[in-house]
Amino acid sequence: MTFDWSIVWASRGALATGAWMTVTLTILTMAIAIPGGILLALMRLSPLGAARGLAIAFVEFFRCTPLILQVYWAFYVLPTQLEVQFSGFATGLMALSMNVSAYNAETFRAGINSIRRGQSEAGLALGMSGAQVYREVVLPQAVKRVLPVLATTWVALFKDTSLVSVIAVGDLAYTAMQIRSRSFRVLEMLTAMAVLYWAMGYPQAKLTDWIHRRLAGRE
Amino acid sequence: MEFTLGPVLDNLPFLLRGLWMNVVVSVVSIGLSLILGFGVGLGRSFGPRWLAVALAFYVDSMRALPVLVVIVWTFFAFPLLAQTSIRPVPAAITAISLHVAASVAEVVRAGVESVREGQTRAALALGMTRIQVLADVILPQAVVRMLPAFTSLMVITIKDSAVASVIAVPEIIRQSETVAGQTFRPFEVYTFALLAFFAILFPVARLADWLYGRVAHLGRS
Amino acid sequence: MTAVPAPGRRYASGRPLVACQRVRKLFGRFVALEEVSVEVNRGEVVCFIGPSGSGKSTLLRCINGLETVDGGRVLFDGSPLPTRAADLRHVRQRMGMVFQSFELFPHKTALANVTVGPIRVLGMPPAAARVRAEALLDKVGLADKAGSYPSALSGGQQQRVAIARALAMEPEVILFDEPTSALDPETIGEVLTVMKRLADEGMTMVVVTHEMTFARRVGDWVVVFDRGQVVEEGLPGDIFDRPREARTRDFLSHLGWDDSGRRHRPAGSA
Repeated sequence: MTFDWSIVWASRGALATGAWMTVTLTILTMAIAIPGGILLALMRLSPLGAARGLAIAFVEFFRCTPLILQVYWAFYVLPTQLEVQFSGFATGLMALSMNVSAYNAETFRAGINSIRRGQSEAGLALGMSGAQVYREVVLPQAVKRVLPVLATTWVALFKDTSLVSVIAVGDLAYTAMQIRSRSFRVLEMLTAMAVLYWAMGYPQAKLTDWIHRRLAGRE
Repeated sequence: MEFTLGPVLDNLPFLLRGLWMNVVVSVVSIGLSLILGFGVGLGRSFGPRWLAVALAFYVDSMRALPVLVVIVWTFFAFPLLAQTSIRPVPAAITAISLHVAASVAEVVRAGVESVREGQTRAALALGMTRIQVLADVILPQAVVRMLPAFTSLMVITIKDSAVASVIAVPEIIRQSETVAGQTFRPFEVYTFALLAFFAILFPVARLADWLYGRVAHLGRS
Repeated sequence: MTAVPAPGRRYASGRPLVACQRVRKLFGRFVALEEVSVEVNRGEVVCFIGPSGSGKSTLLRCINGLETVDGGRVLFDGSPLPTRAADLRHVRQRMGMVFQSFELFPHKTALANVTVGPIRVLGMPPAAARVRAEALLDKVGLADKAGSYPSALSGGQQQRVAIARALAMEPEVILFDEPTSALDPETIGEVLTVMKRLADEGMTMVVVTHEMTFARRVGDWVVVFDRGQVVEEGLPGDIFDRPREARTRDFLSHLGWDDSGRRHRPAGSA
């Protein structure tokens, strides 16, 4: 069995495009999922029972089912039920955004709840309104608590984008596996795919460690 | 949006066999990853420096790789490299175990290092050997703190078993694809799969939350 | 409490600034306050003393509405505490509160902690707020710590910044909830010194405290709590030298005060 690694160099353009798609998906998803997570967290903490219930149901559903199945469901089921056809990219982005919003909701909720009650009491005692207490006292502190967890979520999201390959979205995984099918250079392409993910993911993981070290235990 | 139970009920045994496959893959992977993860975690904390470096490389690499990539490489590429063949289920179990074991190792390492140094010193002062210190003093205190994180990893492993569908492991997503293709009712079939996973994962996730609440007061020993 | 005006109460002219009338407070089935009536006059330093769990902190928090009352009412400057949030906020701006755990905002410098109230709540221009804050930090002896974050300050310094933060709102009364209970013995003195100076300048103060020497020397009126009730109240000299109630005597003897009004055991050795 001979291995021909030149296929990797020959496909470098396509692979770069795929890697770029992976990065784009990650950035866009996080851009939607951070405000989405904050919204869900506030709903979860709201005194309105309906808002709370809705948020809880949403979060539990997306946390307790596999992302790959959420992607399949969105892709195969939504068009037949809603009579509208989204592109693979849009479907993947939707599934990823809702999934990560659910995780972020829990992260933000824990961050907000971790701020001692005395802090908001001190704000109220000064005559601040509830909204002012949130803006001035609670949220700024919660954001610092939440940043390390968001970094970890980012890295997990980066890896999870590979799952959109199953609905033929042109990310790195899909691109590499397509070239593998066309060229029959299985070991070469799959190894290249692994190496490329590793090269992009390893620094992100190390950066996350650094963020955890810098921000944790700063109280 | 109409929902008829027909397609699901007609093929229920077929779908449930798929779900059982998820369970089997998950349970075996959890067991193997716990064993491997403990070894790696303890090796990093207590082993010689060259071993700690090598194991750190393994752990960090697995953190950088999506589980899909590891599964696919194990099933398609590894046999070519090793001039052998591997069946889908063993490939999935191997890949998932290797991937999750890295996370287990991190939990073990953090748990062991969260036990105060004074505990080790006190035990050594009593004349215990290093192995005894580990087994009788450190691990009992550390394992309690690790339980919530392990439960979270169980949730992740069960979800990873669904990714094994891409290498044609006959788990529930694969079975659902077949049934949906035959009955032209993807809505009912995939919704059933979602509900089946939810029924399994919801209790485990709640267990993890409960455990996190129980050990929260422990802090550093 | 009887309707007989307490003899010798120096500042009882005009209507009280704060009046708690038969206040009742429940936590579930636990009765934290049972028909408690207390008055605070302008310029007075009123000290709440008593065992832990006797309800003194709870009553303090009812005064600025951090706790709602289940019976009776709280009057500030003759009017009941408003229930509408916006109106309650206005009342709170006229009161200051200092907490046992300081509760400085850790993400702001000392100066920013003192200016946030005037800027955000009173709508003061930042420059003017800064001038006021710097003067107040100087007054509590921390002018050089204006740019420091709370994590860099000792407990006593943090509490003094907290006092400056309350003063920045120019309140008519300051509520102190065990201000020195969380401090090391060495730093208690610096906080009590600041509080005494405020009292000498005529600030109306309600202080929940275990520092009996402070209550004896700086207080104008002492209210003794036990198990949700007011056991006894009077001038400091009367309470500490000639306590009338057995429960008061018990409480004081536990802290090392005998009937001669002098401490015969060091504080904290009870």
